[in-house]
Amino acid sequence: MAKVRIELPTVLSQVVGGARVLEANGETLQAVFADAFSQCPALEVHLVDEAGVLREHVLCFLNDENTRWAESFDRPVSDGDRITILQAVSGG
Amino acid sequence: MKVTLIVGTDKGGFRFTSEDRRTWRMEEPLFKGWKVTTSARSPAGRWFLGTSSLVYGAAIHVSDDGVEWRQIDKEKSPSYPEGGIHKLNQIWTIHADKDRCLAGVDTAGLFQSTDHGESWQPVSALNDHETRPKWFPGNGGLCAHTILADADNPNRIWCGISAVGAWRSDDGGASWQSKNEGIRCVIEDKDLKDIGYCVHSMVQDPADPNTIYRQDHTGMFRTKNAGDSWEKIESGLASWFGFPIAMDPKTKTLFSFPMESDEYRMPVDGKFRVYRSADGGESWEALGEGLPSTPNYSGVLRSAMAIDALDPCGVYIGSTDGRVYASADLGDTWQALPATLPRVMSVHAYTED
Repeated sequence: MAKVRIELPTVLSQVVGGARVLEANGETLQAVFADAFSQCPALEVHLVDEAGVLREHVLCFLNDENTRWAESFDRPVSDGDRITILQAVSGG
Repeated sequence: MKVTLIVGTDKGGFRFTSEDRRTWRMEEPLFKGWKVTTSARSPAGRWFLGTSSLVYGAAIHVSDDGVEWRQIDKEKSPSYPEGGIHKLNQIWTIHADKDRCLAGVDTAGLFQSTDHGESWQPVSALNDHETRPKWFPGNGGLCAHTILADADNPNRIWCGISAVGAWRSDDGGASWQSKNEGIRCVIEDKDLKDIGYCVHSMVQDPADPNTIYRQDHTGMFRTKNAGDSWEKIESGLASWFGFPIAMDPKTKTLFSFPMESDEYRMPVDGKFRVYRSADGGESWEALGEGLPSTPNYSGVLRSAMAIDALDPCGVYIGSTDGRVYASADLGDTWQALPATLPRVMSVHAYTED
């Protein structure tokens, strides 16, 4: 099972106990998020909407790849991968 | 007596405390960067905060000491069914009684908790009301922003929804009736005549829960029969349009903040004035001593006016240009608190020994 590092923005970290980085395990991106949400249930409120998908303005990178265009989160991850959460709001 | 203000803004909650209501101490921001939309405290002393974010959604946080906050988890938080058409965008108001808490949210709905806010369930009779598919949002969204309750009759609850109207339940939330007779409809539906009323805020006389004052999109109103019918009470107001209304329960003095029409939504002629009524809304007078004396075209949002429990009562307002003004003498004189904040969404005052 892969161990993956999830990096959170500061505005989000303050509502999930202050951690900027979570470590979660899983064979797939979906499984890693499920593990992260079980460790930190508050995180799910802020990343996933009522449709069960990532919120519209949440950006999620798997290493350097934007997952927005991934067909599914049911894709393998590797030990040492890095997930970065950012907000997709720019400009004024 | 100590007064604590929690000022919710677009970018965090700001807590001010004072022992004398003249000198105020500001603490570090609560939930910096988050929109803090409302606060509440239950009779048992539990604190509640509503937060929201365009990016990360809305949540309720609770605290038993006002220092350590804990977010209610997804399964127990107010939420709409996964896969449905409604989304939880904002916690607009929290009404915390001894045995029951109610939260009004955007997209418009009510949620109830009977375990001091640990878990919330939808008030389905309102959220899934037969008229619900035709509810239409106002400028502030489709939001349930005002909750009133009859302390002597726990089965009787009122809810204000923009731009739908005032609703009343006489059976603890199991059924709801539209209560807008005497008020002009602003968004008329072809078939449904119970909706399309734009209540902005309401305040209730705690000694006579059937008497309710209503700042509406179409004017200032009063009911003496629990909302069965409403009458206009606008004599002396600079404008019938506005958002907040508040009441000192001891003297029954009312406070409002008129603004110029729904097109402009700013103080009339740039005069930033609170209005006061000492006769149940029969007449209103402008209050300005200590409020901005130069032209001011900001505003006061519906939840940004509060009353404390002292005698004479303190009155507090927060403006859209980030200032908070406090009066310790029933509105006669005002002072600006020593800070400029982001746009003020809500002001709540808490009094303790």
